[in-house]
Amino acid sequence: MRTNCTFSGSGGQGSALLAKLICQGAMKQGLQVVMTQTYGIEQRGGDSTGYVVVSDSRIGNPLVENDADVSVALSPTIYEGCLDGSAVGGLVLANSSLITETREREGVKQVLIPASDIAVELGSVKCANIVMLGAVLEATKVLEFATVEEVLRDLMGAKKPALLEMNLKALEKGRALYLSAAE
Amino acid sequence: MQELAKIYGETLLLDKKFSYCPGCGHGIVTRLVAEAIEAFGIRKRTVSVVGIGCGGFSHHYMEIDAIEAMHGRAPAVAVGYKIAKPENIVYTYQGDGDCSAIGLAELLHTANRGIPVTCFMINNNLFGMTGGQMSPATLEGQVTSTTPKGRDVHQHGYPLRVPEMMADMRGAKYVAREAVYDAKSIRKAASSVRKALDCQMKGLGFSFVEFIVPCPTGLRLSVSDSYKWNKEKMVEYFKPQVFKNEMEQNDEN
Amino acid sequence: MVVRRNVIRYSLAVDEKKRSNLKTIASESYMKSETLFLKNAQTFAEAMVRCGVRYHFAYPITPATEVMKHTSVILPQYGGRMVQMESELAVANALAGCACTGTLGATSTSGPGMSLMQETISYMAGGELPCIMLDAMRVGPGDGDIVGAQSNYFQATRGGGHGDYRVIVLAPASGQEIVDIMPEAVKLAYTYRTPVLFVIDGVTCTMTESANFPEPHDYASEFDTSSWAFTGTGDHPKRYLLTGSYTHSQGEELNNHLLAKYERIKEEEQRWEEIQVDDADVVLVAFGIHGRMGQDLVSNMRADGKKVGLIRPISLWPFPDKAFEKLPESVKSMLVVEMNHGQMLDDVRLAVNGRLPVHFLGKTGGDMPLCTLAEMTAKINTLL
Repeated sequence: MRTNCTFSGSGGQGSALLAKLICQGAMKQGLQVVMTQTYGIEQRGGDSTGYVVVSDSRIGNPLVENDADVSVALSPTIYEGCLDGSAVGGLVLANSSLITETREREGVKQVLIPASDIAVELGSVKCANIVMLGAVLEATKVLEFATVEEVLRDLMGAKKPALLEMNLKALEKGRALYLSAAE
Repeated sequence: MQELAKIYGETLLLDKKFSYCPGCGHGIVTRLVAEAIEAFGIRKRTVSVVGIGCGGFSHHYMEIDAIEAMHGRAPAVAVGYKIAKPENIVYTYQGDGDCSAIGLAELLHTANRGIPVTCFMINNNLFGMTGGQMSPATLEGQVTSTTPKGRDVHQHGYPLRVPEMMADMRGAKYVAREAVYDAKSIRKAASSVRKALDCQMKGLGFSFVEFIVPCPTGLRLSVSDSYKWNKEKMVEYFKPQVFKNEMEQNDEN
Repeated sequence: MVVRRNVIRYSLAVDEKKRSNLKTIASESYMKSETLFLKNAQTFAEAMVRCGVRYHFAYPITPATEVMKHTSVILPQYGGRMVQMESELAVANALAGCACTGTLGATSTSGPGMSLMQETISYMAGGELPCIMLDAMRVGPGDGDIVGAQSNYFQATRGGGHGDYRVIVLAPASGQEIVDIMPEAVKLAYTYRTPVLFVIDGVTCTMTESANFPEPHDYASEFDTSSWAFTGTGDHPKRYLLTGSYTHSQGEELNNHLLAKYERIKEEEQRWEEIQVDDADVVLVAFGIHGRMGQDLVSNMRADGKKVGLIRPISLWPFPDKAFEKLPESVKSMLVVEMNHGQMLDDVRLAVNGRLPVHFLGKTGGDMPLCTLAEMTAKINTLL
């Protein structure tokens, strides 16, 4: 079983971290992962995309070739790319706090999640990516929810309890939002 | 032969004939290096990295391990060797073409790096092995097979002084230029060879000695005239001196 | 002139305690088998260090820089060191100096840096000095581009240096394969006393993936180098490394000696992966990333009932000629795919020797510097 993921956003929105968290979680579950990235030329603020392939067997093609099963679009500049890069039958999760204009593509399901707004409510706009992560997990079941919580604990755990608390909430909120939005 | 063996012990292979041309300054420097190795008793753990040119023959007359490096790269080879086997003594033996033309970058960075290796640059101010072409050390106006009307400094630049460039490098702890045109200068040169190796043995840093030597064949001069030319012309531009000796302070500690 | 200044003794001595107690420190954090999630360039660094490389000489160049960044952190923990040199010329020659002591060293570079090292690779081949090298291949010629490519196949397998020499060239296709093949590389380097060159495209080098590392094992120290290493006359009668010749017969002898060695390597060390060639109509031949994609291509096309097979060369020199010797009668044609304009293609055509048509698909450079699985599939469909 192979899942192709695309995590896209402007620099600083944490799309690369999102990709890494999925990878860390996959490794905890004994899955194989490959992550490839593209960056803008700018050090900060340019667009950034992390591609992740998760599989329970040897990964042949390491690339996501316009056949993403799930795509996360955090900012408007990369929205079109996410939509075009989706597989037929794929899912695009768009951050509707920032992406106000969307279009339809046949065969691609889109779910709007106001991730940035929710993140601000939770305490920091920076956890918008984690809100999206919660939605991704609910939508794809690519990883166990508990695994990703564990990854977050490993990452922030002892040193930053408040930050961990916020991110765990963001994860849960993302899941709930996906469930209600997808209905 | 018996007497000589007492001085040179096992380092210099006395039964092996030099293939250097008659009067060549390499013979003197090779002997000085062998003498110092013998005196320090380091023959069994000394390795010579020789350059391309007549200096490349030098190890054939000594009972020590040797590595013939690519042209100009001996100092880099010495650095790699020393890092992997710091307990051994490593010195390079290179001509002025090898050191200051093709290999200047490696030499200067090795000096600056300060890893305790020793470089000996034997400066006969031309490319000897290939038949006497201009080297970076060829004097202004000097006729060689590639400067038939004499070195034109506007085209080829001025003769290159190498140890002067190391004066400001803190990794270089002993830097000297010596000559070998008479007994007195040879005695001084012998002292510098010993200090340079001692500097390495003590692990202080990089050490370097340049030797101004005659190449009668390349200069198209008789042996005695080539020594005279060394004494009168070469050392006027390339002044023998100890540029740097930062070994004493440490001895007191 | 005597400058009075405090002199700090330069200590080169590697912490022998660390070296001998490696098992102790490592048992805490480094000595167990584990799965790591690293850029493949870092995986290369980890793999070589865990197999016994203790000295890494390098000069920054994209995309190979990741290797030296990683070794500068991990090598001191193993009692070794990363040495940043002033140029790739110096890197290659310091590596040669290290090899002369019998110690296994390594380097990593890309494009122009690899070109600068060619003289010394020729020298090390002639001097029979073992080492591990990585060419994280990028687009050429000239300064080229930092984008990944497979454009150095010719340089690696033919030799950009002078003379009749070969080096063993390995092309792992994934992080896991880098880990799996590294012990082999160390053994090859010492068994045949030769540089072993890894060629990995820059795309593969910069991607991050999971890899299972077995327990570290110092393979390098298991080889006795006392019969040839230049460790001083305290250990043996005078030895000297001579890659030039003083007599014409010496030059001939050296070349005959090397030739015999290369023939032995060709016979015994061909490596490749083969998938469903037995009844294939078309066989894809690709190394590195395209070979890896070929694994998916075969299973996808087979699922559609199309008889496609794969030969993925893992050793580029010696080229796996044997894989082409007994191709089944079913095979009508072959397709070579590369991130260049047709380099391994020559070797495939030589191996097939006119028996079959050999087609080519390739590209180099650009935002997408390789052929996609979709492009490869489309091309094969035209051949079926």
